[in-house]
Amino acid sequence: MEEKVLEILRNLFEDETLDSTCSQKNCEKWDSMGHLRLVVELESEFEVTLEPEEIGEMVSYEDIIRILKSKVSVC
Amino acid sequence: MKFVFRNNTLEPFFPKGYSFSGYDDISFIPEDAEEYVWFYQAPVHANVEANCNEITAIPQKLEYVLERIPEGKSVIALTMDVLYQVPLTEDDARLEEAVYSYNSFLWDAGRKRQNLKVIDFSEFTRMYPRADLMDWRFYLISQMGLNPKIAKDFQAWWNKKTESVALRRKKCLVLDLDNTLWGGVLGEDGAGGIKIGGDYPGKAFLFFQEALLELSKSGVILAICSKNNESDVDEVWEKNPFMILKKDHFAASRINWDDKATNIKELAKELNIGLDSFVFVDDNPAERELIRQMLPMVSVPEFPTQPYGLPDFFKSLVDNYFKVYSLTEEDKNKAAQYKANAERAKAQESFSDFGAFLESLDIRLTIQQANEFNIPRIAQMTQKTNQFNLTTRRYTDSDVKAFLASGWKIWCLSVADRFGDNGITGAIMVNGDEIDSLLLSCRILGKGIEVAFVKAVLSMLKEQGLKTLRACYVPTAKNSQVHDFYDRCGFTPYSVEDGVKKYEINLECADLQIEKYYHLNIQ
Repeated sequence: MEEKVLEILRNLFEDETLDSTCSQKNCEKWDSMGHLRLVVELESEFEVTLEPEEIGEMVSYEDIIRILKSKVSVC
Repeated sequence: MKFVFRNNTLEPFFPKGYSFSGYDDISFIPEDAEEYVWFYQAPVHANVEANCNEITAIPQKLEYVLERIPEGKSVIALTMDVLYQVPLTEDDARLEEAVYSYNSFLWDAGRKRQNLKVIDFSEFTRMYPRADLMDWRFYLISQMGLNPKIAKDFQAWWNKKTESVALRRKKCLVLDLDNTLWGGVLGEDGAGGIKIGGDYPGKAFLFFQEALLELSKSGVILAICSKNNESDVDEVWEKNPFMILKKDHFAASRINWDDKATNIKELAKELNIGLDSFVFVDDNPAERELIRQMLPMVSVPEFPTQPYGLPDFFKSLVDNYFKVYSLTEEDKNKAAQYKANAERAKAQESFSDFGAFLESLDIRLTIQQANEFNIPRIAQMTQKTNQFNLTTRRYTDSDVKAFLASGWKIWCLSVADRFGDNGITGAIMVNGDEIDSLLLSCRILGKGIEVAFVKAVLSMLKEQGLKTLRACYVPTAKNSQVHDFYDRCGFTPYSVEDGVKKYEINLECADLQIEKYYHLNIQ
């Protein structure tokens, strides 16, 4: 799951150097529109539906992993 | 940059290169956008009255924008579709009616104004159930009227639509016969035994033929490529009363036992159409594969495995290859013109002297300055003409208008002869002392018209006081037939770089004499 999330972030924000420290603060292209595109990608990749609250607090790579792990049972 | 006026969040739905207005904001209209998009979505408040009032106020805003966008630029407007509504009574159709009148306003405005083109948004929304169309999570988080999950689909659809607005259309549809235009195999079933008309599956093929006839009326050229005995096929044309498509509807045909790649190459030559403007339809997967391998520039769609798949197949044919925004007069007459060309070719055989042949044709050339009526056709020709095109620069209506406004001299050529009127089939665009574009439709070539046209234009430029004129030939994969055209017109080459040949002509001592059998009419 970690690799897949990184891959999504790298593709979406067009930066091959993104790593696990990536967050909305240090990634310029991760703006509000980028955030919505990210949600769409994550939802279709991991077949989950994110709650608006989760979408709101999901502002870094680590947040994504934490929230996804809480929703995806087996990974 | 393209600029979108909108009332909801749309960013994920458009590719790179688009900028967006504020929500429901028309106060800022950028001057430098190459194109404008108008995409207002139906409001989704619970208060129906408020929704209706909001919709009713939109046309005024669009008119405000249309009055203010820079001269010569155009707007593509999308129609509106209801995204969410909860009428409390069965007889409450207020929202539907408001949306309907808004859309009628758009279509009407699109017909009246040259700088507005309208695209039917419901063609996209119809592909989805309501529940997939809108996701309230995203509306409530960031005011998205459309579900971002279908953003990629929307982009693909939008690209196709804008292509049809920009007129990138295939020209010729090559059709197989057995199990394509009719059911069964002619060689086995006979002219009366093939399945066309009557009950299913004949009914499905009948539908397909009716549809193809409509396509041909819209200017798509039909041709046949079939492995059959030609005399058997002639018997079908003559005797089978159910055939909607008659022999005359096809501009050319290859009915023989040669391989289809060779046949299609010959058709391209005979019709004077580039292979990449061809679409090949055949029920036999082996034939399709052969063409894909041998002629990769020809489009080869999959064919339905069952006759009842034909109506959907026809729709995808049109959507993928033949959709245009609107038809010009030339489109509507094209089939007749290609047939007339064949008759001209026959007439030519009976004359030994080419001059006498040309004289007998009674060729009438009309040269017209660009105006609001012929600009769409001129732009269309810059988009579609490949072979007789000296620089192959593609322009839109807006470009041509802008050039005209900045002082370019632009003329178009109409050609008629005793066999028929070809309509506007040539154009020349002169920027100062240089020819920017010169192009002619291949339909009229081979009669010396191209040289006569250029000489007539040179004479006009000379009368207007121009002393020398420059021009250039830019080679492409398709226009090698005109590599020495300017030499033939009396221009002198002065430089060649990367294949681009630059020319000059001194108008004062150039030979601008035009053969008397071209009847010139300058407007």
